[in-house]
Amino acid sequence: MNVFLSYFNFLNYLSKFQKFIFYFLIILFFIFFLVSISLGSFNFFLFDLLTYQPDSLNKIVLYEIRIPRVLLAGFVGASLGISGASLQGLFRNPLADPGLIGVSAGAALGAALVIVLGSNFFSEYFFNTFALPFSAISGAALVITLLYFFTRGFGYEGITYMLLIGIAINALASVGIGILTFISSDSELRGLTFWTMGSFGGASWQIIMPALVIIIFTILWMIPSARKLDLLQLGEPEAYRLGIDIQKLKFKVIISSAIIVGVSVALSGMIGFVGLVVPHLVRLIGGVNHSYLLPASAFFGGSLMMSADLLSRILISPAEVPVGLLTSALGAPFFLWLIFNSRKI
Amino acid sequence: MLGDFILHLGGIQNMVFKKAAFFLLIAANYLPSECDKSKNPNKIVIAGGSLTEIVYDLKEEEKILAVDVTSNFPPEVKDFPSVGYVRALSTEGLLSLGPTLILGEEDMGPPLVLDQLKIVGVDIRVIKDDFSSSSILSKVECISEIIGAKKINTKRLINNLKEKINVLETNIKKNNRAMTILLILGLQGTSPIAAGHSTSGHGFINLLGAKNIMEDVEGWKPISSESILMKNPDIILVTKRGIRSFKNDEAFSNHSSIKFTNAAQNKNVFSLDGMSMLGFGPRTIETAIFVSENLINQ
Repeated sequence: MNVFLSYFNFLNYLSKFQKFIFYFLIILFFIFFLVSISLGSFNFFLFDLLTYQPDSLNKIVLYEIRIPRVLLAGFVGASLGISGASLQGLFRNPLADPGLIGVSAGAALGAALVIVLGSNFFSEYFFNTFALPFSAISGAALVITLLYFFTRGFGYEGITYMLLIGIAINALASVGIGILTFISSDSELRGLTFWTMGSFGGASWQIIMPALVIIIFTILWMIPSARKLDLLQLGEPEAYRLGIDIQKLKFKVIISSAIIVGVSVALSGMIGFVGLVVPHLVRLIGGVNHSYLLPASAFFGGSLMMSADLLSRILISPAEVPVGLLTSALGAPFFLWLIFNSRKI
Repeated sequence: MLGDFILHLGGIQNMVFKKAAFFLLIAANYLPSECDKSKNPNKIVIAGGSLTEIVYDLKEEEKILAVDVTSNFPPEVKDFPSVGYVRALSTEGLLSLGPTLILGEEDMGPPLVLDQLKIVGVDIRVIKDDFSSSSILSKVECISEIIGAKKINTKRLINNLKEKINVLETNIKKNNRAMTILLILGLQGTSPIAAGHSTSGHGFINLLGAKNIMEDVEGWKPISSESILMKNPDIILVTKRGIRSFKNDEAFSNHSSIKFTNAAQNKNVFSLDGMSMLGFGPRTIETAIFVSENLINQ
């Protein structure tokens, strides 16, 4: 019981105002969840949910299609938000983004391989619905392994070195995706294009259950590093002298971000800007300490993604707007404003 | 990655603009004389699967020099050199083959390459298509005229096609119920990509005398799973290539967005070869007959 309670120590580092914001964001997350599962091609009223007949079409839509999709959107948003926040902390760079270390590019390459070359090289039995997520996660895992070896266990040469490796890996993966785009047929090209713009349309219970478990546990594993990330802002040598095991911290943040970003990209495609923008919004609202920033970014990212997905479903129904377009449309102006402001300083 | 992503989106926009500009160019240059006889139709490069099919059916295949990658029927066309993808032809690659005539579908491009080829003096013809049974007939007549095919072969092919169109129309009358169709191009980890209006898929649905549930949307667009259930199509058509990530057709029918539709409940989910359904060559009518017969026999 004590171990369980001591997990919530991070709340002690929050100011009163931050606590208020944090609880407000949690409530917001659940409000967006309920609104998202209520609206769409079929509309549900919250108090009706329990009274539907077992086999009615409404119930099928709600439980088989709507709820998995909204859950996936919420958790992918949370993953991108928290990994963006922790990577910005680790790199001490406000423009860091989960895409920066090359993991999402690796996952995208894996997915593009399946979309263009098909599941020809997979066995007939196990992979069918799992072929694409499996290949995307393998791509992400490959990038993590490469990063690990090039940086000698994340310990070598400091963080700038790791950033440069990430850029090189991104370039390599882009070449791979480019080649696949070039050789793809008409319908594969369409599949690839829509996939890179992101969608939660592929959500079903059997695909999202493993992902949700992985995401929840990884996020819970990340949050306790918040205080160490605060100290790291003083600079690597200073943090080291204050007793932080820098290499262990880097390992933890990179691995956990890579896992949840890899899983998210595998299931929903490339969704831009959430990882970059959400931590900044959360900082603007409540402050910069990571004990507040990490969990709040998760809840805010989830809320934002669920509302973007809601818009993507209802804007031009029966067709869908790719959700990555909506998050980028919301994120890009903010990004510009950020660049503009940082130049004035 | 961010930068690449933006560039990638930019690229899509650019393609749309290029395509629009290209159609204008075609309209301006080729409309008056598009089906006149070509001066020297003995070395033909074909960019478009349906055109290759028609040239074969006219028994003029010895005039073919090379084809593009969308030409996959009859199987022996694979022996011809390939000029690549119909929208991304290359000037030098084409010229090195020494063609005298290039036949292409409306999506042939890019425009710059076509301009360069025109300057060199290659006869380029773009065959129009509005995705209907009558446009298949007019494509046959147009190509026959351009390449100077034998009258008897042309007549035989036209009569054959007209007969098949009659069979198709009788089948549709026999079926005698209003039906709705969803035509899916592919389904790869995202929402299904379905045919809206102004697509070959919409044309194929019209051939079957049915109503497209996506007719309010233009082009090929993702459709959300719940909208499929909401619209509840009677028939779902899907390209074989688009569902190869599923174990078999049955696994596709059990996908959560398909399983509860009328189409899946009544086993009216058909997976068909993409080119034979959407190419709008002679095979398209046969494919439509195949679907309509399945519907009658229930």
